[in-house]
Amino acid sequence: MKKDIGTLMYNDIIIKNFTEPHNVGDLESADYEIEIGNPVCGDRIKVQLLVTDKVINKAVFRAWGCATSVATANIFCSSIAGEAYDNISQRQPLEIGQMLGELEPSQQHCVEILVELHQKLADTISSGVV
Amino acid sequence: MDQQHISGYFDYNATTPISDEVAQSMIPVLTQFANPSSSNSYSILCKSAIVEAREQIARLINTKKEKVFFTSGGSEANNWAIKGVLLQHIKKPGHIITTAIEHASVLDTIRYCVESFGFEVTYLKPDEQGVIRLKDFQDALRADTQLISIMYANNETGVIQPIEIISRLAKEKNIPLHVDAVQVIGKRKVDVESLNINYLSISAHKFYGPKGVGCLYIKDVNSIGPLIHGGGQEQSMRSGTENLVALVGMSKAAQEASLNVAQWDKDNWQCKQHMINLLKLAPIEIKFNGHIGFAAALSNTLNISIKGVRGEALAARMEMLHNYIFSIGSACSNNKTKKSSHVLQAMSMQEEDIQNSIRISFGRFTSIQAVEKFIETLIIEAQKLLIISGSRHG
Repeated sequence: MKKDIGTLMYNDIIIKNFTEPHNVGDLESADYEIEIGNPVCGDRIKVQLLVTDKVINKAVFRAWGCATSVATANIFCSSIAGEAYDNISQRQPLEIGQMLGELEPSQQHCVEILVELHQKLADTISSGVV
Repeated sequence: MDQQHISGYFDYNATTPISDEVAQSMIPVLTQFANPSSSNSYSILCKSAIVEAREQIARLINTKKEKVFFTSGGSEANNWAIKGVLLQHIKKPGHIITTAIEHASVLDTIRYCVESFGFEVTYLKPDEQGVIRLKDFQDALRADTQLISIMYANNETGVIQPIEIISRLAKEKNIPLHVDAVQVIGKRKVDVESLNINYLSISAHKFYGPKGVGCLYIKDVNSIGPLIHGGGQEQSMRSGTENLVALVGMSKAAQEASLNVAQWDKDNWQCKQHMINLLKLAPIEIKFNGHIGFAAALSNTLNISIKGVRGEALAARMEMLHNYIFSIGSACSNNKTKKSSHVLQAMSMQEEDIQNSIRISFGRFTSIQAVEKFIETLIIEAQKLLIISGSRHG
């Protein structure tokens, strides 16, 4: 991957997850679906999950947004795949924030996106809504 | 110029690559330390270089050298024209006409005058193609209008405003007209005398010259106040020891532009036509923002929206993966505010189209082959983003 001074505004985590987002896709029969949107910047992220006994077997996403928010969606899916929900639910805000690496001020809103994805996951799993 | 290095650069409206000839012209002057205002033998070369620079700029816009006043660039020229005229009226502040699509250095300066001194302002909104309606302009004219400030060509869309007619109408009403010509100089021939403009702003780094230097054309030096008081340089209108190195660079850039602007325009138009044709054939949905015809817009600028593709993400992929550089119409700021193009908003574009918009601008170092590679890559990356968003399945 090329990286020069022009891409310095994005850290390596964001660059990798944005340029090679391997969790992109749809599930034909998802157990759960999470959708968030930011009315200000217009970012939209939809995550679909396969879940067995509160273990996330598979997580895929579709996203329309800036580079960092697309990367955030991919990072979220990678971080929850194969994990027991109980482990995910114990993540602290600081830990969640660090998952994206160091961000420029204009990218900070993606930490809130990641927090919201975790919150929606919690709400969805606890309500059992498919 | 390292052609390979800049073949991916499609942001000429932000700044142009400095030409080899301009760079070379500045090197010998670096050691010319004499103060051009001094009366000693050391300063003779410096003085003559400044005279030459003024003549070259005058030739570029077809005027007399006495009407060319050096500044630090386009923003300073815009500030000077606006404040220099309006501050003469602060005891009886009247009315200003400008447009909603001006550069920030015009809009912010006018807002400062409005908020600080009580001037009133009319912001003309363009039509959906980015052009100011002449009827709106005529309707806005008032008996107490003290200044009109309208750009020649827009930096985001390249759309050219009807300056010739606006100038004639302004003259009929005896209202001074300031034209921000930063984006048009070096791209189209500008004849400031025949246009009968009162003030015209120029920036060297938009036509292959160095940054930090520009000028203001002033038709009548008695019509405007000085910008900087002090040592008496620039006919006592803008004091301060001249930036000799930058002026020599601008001089060379102006000379090159005078000789080549018609050919550059022709070459750019070929690139633009090719780009438009390739985009029209692309298997993605593209909207052209603003006029794209030769007479109506600059030949080096194309503003497009790709349906379903966020411009910010496309620009990031193009830079990260391919080293291509261009501008976007909307960028993330934070959760409470957004940075959306005020130009595209004023053209009444839908918010999603603005977020999907990109500005492609190129110039004398851009080849047809570079355009082809760029558009091919752009389409591939746009399709990848469509897959990521789910608008198109991979």
